[in-house]
Amino acid sequence: MKLNTKKNKVVKDEFIAVSQNNKRYKINSLFSEDLKINNKKADIKIFENEDGFTYLVWKNRKYLAEITEKNQNKYTVLLNGISYSFSIESPISYKRKKYLEKHIEKSKTEAIIAPMPGKIVDLLVEENAEIKEGEPILILEAMKMQNEINSHVAGKIKKILVKQNDSVAKDEVLLEIEK
Amino acid sequence: MKIRSLLIANRGEIAVRINNTAKRLGIKTYGIKTAREPHALYLKYVDHVVDYSDNVDEIPEFLDIEKIINAAKKNKINAIHPGYGFLAESPYFAKRCEEEKICFIGPSASAIYKMGNKTIAKQLATKYNVPLLKGSLGNIRDVKQAKEIARRIGYPVIFKAAAGGGGRGMRIVEKESRIEKMFKIAADEAEKAFNDPSLFIEKYVRNPRHIEFQILGDKHGNYVHLGERECSIQRKHQKLIEESPSVVMDEKLRKAMGEAAINIAKAVDYYSAGTVEFLVDDARNYYFMEMNTRIQVEHPVTEMITGIDLIEQQIRIAEGEKLSLKQKNIKLKGWAIECRINAEDVQAGFSPNLGTIEKVFYPKGKNIRIDSGINNSSIITPHYDSMIAKLIVHAETRDKAISLASSALKKFWIKGIKTTIPFHIAVMSNKKFRKGEFNTSFIETEMDKLYYQEPNDEMLAAYVAAFDFAAELETDRSTLINFQQGKNISPWVLNKRLRSL
Repeated sequence: MKLNTKKNKVVKDEFIAVSQNNKRYKINSLFSEDLKINNKKADIKIFENEDGFTYLVWKNRKYLAEITEKNQNKYTVLLNGISYSFSIESPISYKRKKYLEKHIEKSKTEAIIAPMPGKIVDLLVEENAEIKEGEPILILEAMKMQNEINSHVAGKIKKILVKQNDSVAKDEVLLEIEK
Repeated sequence: MKIRSLLIANRGEIAVRINNTAKRLGIKTYGIKTAREPHALYLKYVDHVVDYSDNVDEIPEFLDIEKIINAAKKNKINAIHPGYGFLAESPYFAKRCEEEKICFIGPSASAIYKMGNKTIAKQLATKYNVPLLKGSLGNIRDVKQAKEIARRIGYPVIFKAAAGGGGRGMRIVEKESRIEKMFKIAADEAEKAFNDPSLFIEKYVRNPRHIEFQILGDKHGNYVHLGERECSIQRKHQKLIEESPSVVMDEKLRKAMGEAAINIAKAVDYYSAGTVEFLVDDARNYYFMEMNTRIQVEHPVTEMITGIDLIEQQIRIAEGEKLSLKQKNIKLKGWAIECRINAEDVQAGFSPNLGTIEKVFYPKGKNIRIDSGINNSSIITPHYDSMIAKLIVHAETRDKAISLASSALKKFWIKGIKTTIPFHIAVMSNKKFRKGEFNTSFIETEMDKLYYQEPNDEMLAAYVAAFDFAAELETDRSTLINFQQGKNISPWVLNKRLRSL
C-alpha cells in the first residue's frame, strides 16, 4: 500500500458509496480493468457521446447518467431518470462515519419540507397541536393545483415556520414536529 | 372564407403542432412572444412573431383577450387558433372574434357557453336520452345543500368546478365529516383556475374508465365520430397516458356511444373538433360527463389510427367547408398510445421539476411521433403547465404498441431535469396494464412503485458517483479537461474510458 504524502498525493484505490438507505457499495480498482464492486468484477464503461450525454455501458446495455448534485463527498446521480444519493467514503472516513452514527443520538424533531415550490393557501394546524401520521397539515398551491401536504410522522407541532400566503421554495422547512 | 394568416394564441407543443399543419395548408403563421418564455421553441417555427416580451403583466398574455384581438387586427390576421387551455373554451373570446370578424378556429361562442356550463350541458344530455350520473341539477349554493344532496344520492360523491376541466376544482368526498373542508378546497381551486368558484356535486363512480369520443361537425349540420380514446391512466384527474381504441370497446358499444356523442354535439349546433367525455363502469354502462369544445392534448392517438389531421379539419371547417368524411369510411387502424412527458419528479410525488433542459434526444423510428415544445437549452418555468412533450406510437396491435412505446421511452434521453419517462416505462411493464385490466384508480391500486427501476441501477449510480469523486482527487496532479460542466476528469482516465468509443 502506498502512503499519502503532501508532496506526492496518491489516492488509495478503494471507495465506499453509502446510499441514502444505508446500502453500501465497495468499489475497488476504479480506474482499471479490474474494477470490482462489492468484490465482484464489474465491466462497466463510461462514455460521453457527441450530443453531450454521459452514459454507462454494462452487459451490452446503455444507462443514461448525470450528476445532478455534488457537495464535497455527497452526490446525487440521475440514472435512467431516477435519482440516487450517496456519500463517497474512503475506508478511513467510512469507519469514522459509522462510529459517529452509533454515538450521536437520533433527532427527535422531524421537519416537514415543501415537496415543490408553491404558495401556502391554507394552514390546517396550530402550534402545540397533536398530529397523526397522514393527517393534512396545509394546502400548497403549485402549478394551479392545490396539494394537501400530510404529515409523515405522528407527534406534536413544535413550530410553524410559514404563514398563509407565503411563497415557499422546494425543500423549504414548513414546520417542525416533535415525535 | 379562405384563411390566409393565423395567430396561434398558445405556446408549447400545441403551438408547434398547429403551426406545422397551418403552414402545410399555405397559411402564414403568427406566434406570441412572452416575457415569461422569450426563447420558447414555437417561436422558431412560426413565420412571424408578435412581440410582447417587454410586457410583464400579472395576467398571462395567452389569457388577455383584448391584447390578442388587437394583435390580430394590427397585423391584419384572418384567424386565431386558441389551442387547448387558456382561452380555448372562453365563450367571450370566441364572441369577441366574431364581433371583430376574425375567424375563431373552434365552435361558436354559444356552443362553448352551453357546454362550458355543466348545468345546461346536463339538461341537453337528458333531452337526448344520453345517460347521466345522479347529482345536483345545477350549481350548489353552500355546504348545507351539498350535504342534503350527498345524503340523497349516497357517498362517495364528487365536487366538480362548474367552469372546470383538467382535474382542477375536483374533490372526492367519502364521508360527511370531510364535506365541508373539501367544499372549500374545491371552490378555492375553481376560483383560482377558472375565476369562478361554482361547484356542482354528483355521485362518484368508483374505479370507472374514462373514455371519450372525438367528433367532427361542420357548419352545414354534418357530423362524424372518429372513435374513442381511453384516458384512464390518470393521477389526481390529470391524464398521463391515452390510447385508442379502448380494450373495452366493441362495435355495438362504439356505435351507441358514438351516436350519443354526436347527439350531444348536435344539441348545440356544434362545429369544429370536439370531445365528448364519458365514464364507463365495470358493467360497461356509460355516463355523459362533459364535452370539451376544443382540440385535446391527446388528439394525436386519434390521428394515428384514422390518418386524419384534426387541426386541418378544424381549419377547413372554420373556413366553411363541408366535411368530406363519411362515417362509413372512417376505419380505425391498429393501436396508438400517447405518453405525456412532464417535467415532474416522480420520486417526489410528481412535483414540478423546474430547470434548464441541457440536452434532449428523441427516439426515432417508423410509427413513433414526438410532439414537443422544447429543445436543447429550453427553460422550464413555473409559469406554465409542466407538460413538455408527447410521445405517440402506433402499431398493429395493442401488445406491439406497448412494446414500441417501452423501447422508445428508453431511448428518449433528457439531461438537466427529471421527467415522467420512468413512470411511463413502469406502466408499460405492468402486467395488468398489458392485459388491459385497468381503470382510473390504476396508479393508486396497481402500482407498487411509480417508476421503473432495475435491481442494479443503484449500483451503477454508485459507480458514477465514486468515479467522479475519485477523478476529482486525481485532478491535483493532472492537466484538466472538461468532462461535464463543473466536473473534471484527468485525461488519462478519460482516454482509458473512451478508448472503445
